[in-house]
Amino acid sequence: MAGRGRMLSMVVVAAFLLGLTACGSGTTGRAGGHLATASDGSPAGSAPPASSLTETGSTLLFPLMRTWAAVYHQQFPDVAISTAATGSTTGIADASGGTADIGTSDAYLSSGNLVKNPALLNIPLVISAQQVDYNLPGLGAGSHVKLSGAVLARMYEGTITAWNDPAIAALNPGVRLPAIKVVPVHRSDGSGDTFLFSSYLSTQDPAWNNTIGYGTTVAWPPVRGALARRGNNGVVAGCEAVSGCVAYVGISYLSQALAGGLGEAELANAAGRFVLPTAATISASVASFLSSTPPNETISMVDGPAANGYPIVNYEYAIVSTRQSDPLKARAIRAFLTWVITTGNSAPYLNQVRFQPLPAAVVTLAAQQIAQIS
Amino acid sequence: MARRSVAATMPVKLWMLSAGLVLLSLAWGVLGGWIVSQHASAASDVVHVDEPLALAAQQMYESISDADVTATTTFLSGPEPPLASLQRYRADVAGAAADLARLKNAADGNQPLTAALAAFSAGLPVYTGYVAQAQTEYALGYPLTGGSFMQVASEEAHLVLLPAARTIYTLQDAALTAASSQATGVPLVIVAGVLAVVTGFALYRTQRWLTRRTHRVFNYGLVMASAALIVSVVWLLVTFAVARSDLAQGIGHGSRPAGTLAQASIDVQQARGDEILNLISRSGDTSFEQNFRSVRDQIGPGTGTLLAVAAAASRGQAVPQVTAAARDAASWYSANEQVYRLDLAAAYAAETKLVIGTGPGSSAAGYTQVESDISRAIADDLSTFQSSATAGASAFGPVEGVVIAAALLMAGACAWGLSRRLGEYR
Repeated sequence: MAGRGRMLSMVVVAAFLLGLTACGSGTTGRAGGHLATASDGSPAGSAPPASSLTETGSTLLFPLMRTWAAVYHQQFPDVAISTAATGSTTGIADASGGTADIGTSDAYLSSGNLVKNPALLNIPLVISAQQVDYNLPGLGAGSHVKLSGAVLARMYEGTITAWNDPAIAALNPGVRLPAIKVVPVHRSDGSGDTFLFSSYLSTQDPAWNNTIGYGTTVAWPPVRGALARRGNNGVVAGCEAVSGCVAYVGISYLSQALAGGLGEAELANAAGRFVLPTAATISASVASFLSSTPPNETISMVDGPAANGYPIVNYEYAIVSTRQSDPLKARAIRAFLTWVITTGNSAPYLNQVRFQPLPAAVVTLAAQQIAQIS
Repeated sequence: MARRSVAATMPVKLWMLSAGLVLLSLAWGVLGGWIVSQHASAASDVVHVDEPLALAAQQMYESISDADVTATTTFLSGPEPPLASLQRYRADVAGAAADLARLKNAADGNQPLTAALAAFSAGLPVYTGYVAQAQTEYALGYPLTGGSFMQVASEEAHLVLLPAARTIYTLQDAALTAASSQATGVPLVIVAGVLAVVTGFALYRTQRWLTRRTHRVFNYGLVMASAALIVSVVWLLVTFAVARSDLAQGIGHGSRPAGTLAQASIDVQQARGDEILNLISRSGDTSFEQNFRSVRDQIGPGTGTLLAVAAAASRGQAVPQVTAAARDAASWYSANEQVYRLDLAAAYAAETKLVIGTGPGSSAAGYTQVESDISRAIADDLSTFQSSATAGASAFGPVEGVVIAAALLMAGACAWGLSRRLGEYR
């Protein structure tokens, strides 16, 4: 009964905080506008030491991180965790430079980061995915346009200019595609989302790979009418405003996109099947990489081999140094991250943002990495 | 009575003098021979043990560094990697394994060395495993997953293998320095010189004493012993001077500049690695460019850089090779500036072509040329070392026998010379 009561309180707090997130425009905070706290979520159950932790990084993870921090503070009032949506690059730099206790990132550390600072770890916290949305008036509710990497590449190159183009029609037999102009929307800021999306295009379309390639920033081909927007919020808002748009957006913004009238595309995976980013397809994709995941959990899972897998999936990482100056802080970080990959990976938290929980094998590897923080 | 007393003490004195001179002569033989053997052994170790082991450690580092660059470049070149690149990667790994085996066989229980060898030994199969996994993923059509495995492999190389190889090289280089110091060190020769002077002085004073007591100008035995001492001392000193000069020449103008150039080569590979990892990561992370610039400043050209230091120390054919390396490095840096400009503009296709393309003006061509120049210069420097150091080590050849033979001759001559005087009292 006590456990149920605690879980219920967590859900209530999470829902409350998510409500605040949706309404607010700020990108920094201290869990729920207050100090959020952490406690020892270790299986051993010992309470974490009183501590004040700082987290900066991924904007995609920020709403969930803020919720985690708030609930953790409720459970362990002696631990305060401040969170800030600064972007992954800043999160890595802050963790590397010691100005934040925990950085968060949509991508694993580069070799350059690790060679410069071998003490850094990248620890998966949760599974994310990326959706492709469109604004096509007149399509029936619940319909999903099928798109492949090659077709998306042509749309972003500007060689497919209308939605009723034969290449799109060939993927969508029986669907009445409108004869409206394709308006590609991309990020104006460097982002992990751009890295993931352009990676998908590069793996599915050799021509894109040979001419444009992939990266956190991409030299987008000049397409008349194309939109560049900052952040996922900006991309969703931009797409909602223009009929014919196509955009890539983090999975945690799906509810917002659907509420704004955008459609959600089924994407072609490596097996040639068209799939939506559901719990089953995302988990299937990740599962195909479990046996080969290295101990430091650096792995790209874009366009993986799972026949029913969704093609654009990734881990959201915590970037933490193994060497902490204060043993109590090290213990507090270990406790909080352990709580995140266990209790924090439960449905009440993840369902709000459509993230998926880490598989047991990844949790084991993550726990081994967390144990190195000292 | 007084006459009888003198007669009684003279034989005793002669006996004592004879015994003392024989002992001094034998001590000269033992000490001189031991000192020569120490120097000869150290010189031989420099040429046949320590320099080859230091070279093996250096090569092992270079092999892994080159394997990392080659494997990563191969990964970038497409789903059908060039056979030459695959062969080069395999040769690098095989070379590193062979050098590792040689170093392990020669390890003498030095704890830090044993630990570093164990770390390298454990890390090598992990590294090659990740590279194989990356190649498999790429061949199966999952280039991004392959890329992440290649990154993990590269991290294993940079965080485990190369630090271990650097430790091994540092320890082997310290052993080489110690052996070189022992081979060319002066203190032991000074000890030998002091003993030679003491022995010579004893021979001289004995001769003077006998002259006053016996009114004979020369004692032929002592003269013979003195001559043997002078010959052996001069031989030893000349040999030591020649060997020391040759070894110093070999080390100063061969081994040392070769080591400096090896460090330059390692830095060149690291800079190339930065170029390639930057191309793969495409993360907006500018640390690769910063690393490249930092390493570039160490390599040279320019005052105080590795190439400048090596050029100053090198002799013969190595000098124009180092000059060529400096010239070609400047060209390579120009190509690299263009690479990072393209990266900043997210022009990845053009950047890839410039980084791994083989045409003139490409960064790959520049890197290859610099590496080739440095490799040739290292070979020339090592040739200088081999010829000079081998000559130095060979110089010690007969001197040990000469000193021992001279000492035996001295002992015999002293005993013979003084026994003739003793006979006069019987």
